[in-house]
Amino acid sequence: MSGIDVDLAVNGLITGLFYALMAVGLSLIFGILRIVNFAHGEFYMVGAYAYTLIALGLGVPAWIALPLAFVTGAALGWLTERTLMRPLYAGYTSWGLMRDEYAVIVTFGLSLFLINLVDKVVGPYAFRGPALVETSRVVLGPVLISGHRLLAAGIAIAVIAITAMLIKWSFWGQQIRAVSQNRLGASLAGIDTAKASVIVFMLSGGLAAFAGALLSPVINASPDVGIFPAIKSYIIVVLGGMGSVPGAIVASLLLGVIESFGAVYLSYQYRDAFGLILLMLFLLFRPQGLFGEKGREV
Amino acid sequence: MTLLSVRGVSKRYGGLTAVDQVSFNVEAGELVGLIGPNGSGKTTLLNILSGLAVPDSGEILLDGAPCQGLTPERLAQRGVMRMFQLTRVFRRMNVVDNLLVAGRALGLGADEALLRADALISELRLDVIRHLDAGQLSGGQMKLLEFGVCFMVPPRIALLDEPFAAVHPTMKEIMGDFIRARHEKGQTFILVSHDMPVVVELCQRAICMNAGGVIIDAATREVLNDPRVIEAYLGGHAV
Amino acid sequence: MAQSSSTSPAVQPSGAQLTTTRTTVEFRAALIAMAVVALIPLGVSNPYWLGVLVVSMYFAILAGSWNLLAGYTGQFSLAPATFAMIGAYTTGLLNHYFGTPPLLGIVAAIVVAGLIGLLLGRAVMRLVGPYLALTTLSFAEIMRLVTANSIDITRGDLGLSVAGLMDSRVGWYYLFLGALVLLLLMFYLLLRSKAGLFLQAIRDDEVAARRAGVNVVFWKTAAFAISAAACGFAGALYAHFAELVTPELGLIGQTGLIVSMTVIGGMGTLAGPLVAAFLVYVMSEWLRDVGGYQLVVFAALVVIFARFFREGLWGLAKAAVQRGRQA
Repeated sequence: MSGIDVDLAVNGLITGLFYALMAVGLSLIFGILRIVNFAHGEFYMVGAYAYTLIALGLGVPAWIALPLAFVTGAALGWLTERTLMRPLYAGYTSWGLMRDEYAVIVTFGLSLFLINLVDKVVGPYAFRGPALVETSRVVLGPVLISGHRLLAAGIAIAVIAITAMLIKWSFWGQQIRAVSQNRLGASLAGIDTAKASVIVFMLSGGLAAFAGALLSPVINASPDVGIFPAIKSYIIVVLGGMGSVPGAIVASLLLGVIESFGAVYLSYQYRDAFGLILLMLFLLFRPQGLFGEKGREV
Repeated sequence: MTLLSVRGVSKRYGGLTAVDQVSFNVEAGELVGLIGPNGSGKTTLLNILSGLAVPDSGEILLDGAPCQGLTPERLAQRGVMRMFQLTRVFRRMNVVDNLLVAGRALGLGADEALLRADALISELRLDVIRHLDAGQLSGGQMKLLEFGVCFMVPPRIALLDEPFAAVHPTMKEIMGDFIRARHEKGQTFILVSHDMPVVVELCQRAICMNAGGVIIDAATREVLNDPRVIEAYLGGHAV
Repeated sequence: MAQSSSTSPAVQPSGAQLTTTRTTVEFRAALIAMAVVALIPLGVSNPYWLGVLVVSMYFAILAGSWNLLAGYTGQFSLAPATFAMIGAYTTGLLNHYFGTPPLLGIVAAIVVAGLIGLLLGRAVMRLVGPYLALTTLSFAEIMRLVTANSIDITRGDLGLSVAGLMDSRVGWYYLFLGALVLLLLMFYLLLRSKAGLFLQAIRDDEVAARRAGVNVVFWKTAAFAISAAACGFAGALYAHFAELVTPELGLIGQTGLIVSMTVIGGMGTLAGPLVAAFLVYVMSEWLRDVGGYQLVVFAALVVIFARFFREGLWGLAKAAVQRGRQA
């Protein structure tokens, strides 16, 4: 394995880490509500903007702006869940059986709303947030990486690990998993399913915003910057098996590496298309993803 | 010719055998009761007969022609109509339209379908609510509507999955009258039910399932007095 | 309100809002709206605004087609703009490289878009809700990327220049209007027939539809193909109107507009999406001068309508008329 390959692999894995931050939240939402949040990319975008505006606009140190971006995302997630997600489980007569369609339309609309709102309020120009550290190059063997990216990767690992542990071992983590497996049963067992939904949305929003914040020194944050990360998240959630957090993490890393190698060895132009093609293929032929279980027939 | 012939039909889901080598015949004009405790495989068998599940092995002959593995819509075209245990109607369409869907899909012209829909609405006493969307009906009314949908074009065989479950006595009466009236005219039924009095009243013959297999297939009274049936319901476990 | 007609066999049940009755009412309302649109050039001659209305009609066709697929059949495709782009490029490439006359190119566009729609519809047959949306979204993005990156053939984002059909803006106005009315009529006839019953049944409960004997595979695929063909038609017309074809036609944002118009107008109604297309697009152009918050407003409306007014503007209008009748 040549030096370039190691570099590609490491960079791919790091990109995968950031993907994982976004995909885990989406996976949780799917587990709890059985919907895909089409506005997910906009939480990422809001996080990038929040981080940059707080750090540059208010003169707050980057280290503090980062968690504040998480909080912003979580708050937006809370608001979204409270105002828009209720009909999905509170027995809403008008959309009735068409809850899937409702979820698609309402989150799609929310996505458009947020993109255009930020476009008008903040402006369409791209800008970048402050890096966490100014070291531009760190050398790790054959791998050349920027200091910020390395640090961000470390933070991402920590956050993902904490999240995974919370889901697995904390009280609410177990509640959430119970609701994911069987909503009716969980509520009969006394679990507050509404609260679980709220927590999941807040967590999802916070994580996506955090990812946006971490990456804002690297990406050029513009109002529609969240569209591609969102699509990547959808790909990952399907690949990893809808609702599976470990699956999402593994699929994220996989996608990062595939894209990294694909961009160099196959086509740089179409590097974003690999994931899309994978998504289509999986949805058509293996919707349960790499790790999910095949659903039963009627 | 035997209307329906089921031969050695089996279906497994993972490690569970839901239907185990089931065989029986149904002649034209019979009203056969299908009973058995929960989990005995009755609904899976009905799913297989109506095309919603594909058997792992075995044969099903309708009027002598094999039909296992056919899609639900093909089977409907051939005259197999199935009522669901959890009522399925087209909620955002009104009562008449619900009936028209079945009528038109099964080959009736627009005017004829409307006439038949009218007649069925009368027979099922749904007149007063004919202008409502199906989603606005009460549970019992929905069941009656689903009944109507299944009979817009009289099927070769009607598979009724617990039509009397959780239904108001008045509706039960309407349904019972409907079934009896059609039966007298020669309609063939398989009726899945837990309501023993109704089974005794309507069905001359009963098949009892347990743990996926048929434990007895005989005259209703004989079946209900059979010790194996009693044990299946009261004593033993379904699996 | 409902009179029982159980004593005598009635051919037309009275009082019931049969889907055929409802569809006819909607069709008439849509025709009236089209008549109003037809009269506008008598009073408005500003070519800019006529052009805005032409683009509105382009969107009206797209919204109406998407409504057939999503509103009536329940298939939530996120690819309507993609089929418009496919249609535009079909006629565009034929015209640009082979000098194919526009009218022939437009026919080819309908066929190509329809065929691809057929294939895609068949492929996504088993998918529901978010899965269908995601698959069609991927398809849309892949198509757009391929189109934009195949610079040798399509000239990418620079665009392909294409012959026009006529110089007169008013001429284009009535051509588009004619196309819109033609499609409206086609959809009306389709939805009034048993097809309308079947599509809505599929939307409401696919399993129950199959049980009732509806050939679900056929009808779902047909809806996809028809919708795609109509979108391709619109795209091809637009190509010769704008005399330029770019991948921008297939942007997800365009689909966003189409979805917005349909939701605001009223999904599953004939007239709603058509009227809303005009309202949304004209307002957005008008508001563009006044600060440009139009897209924010419309996106907010989509969310609000989806959350609270499922039946859209058409539903609100219906309710107002009924309240007026009772007063």
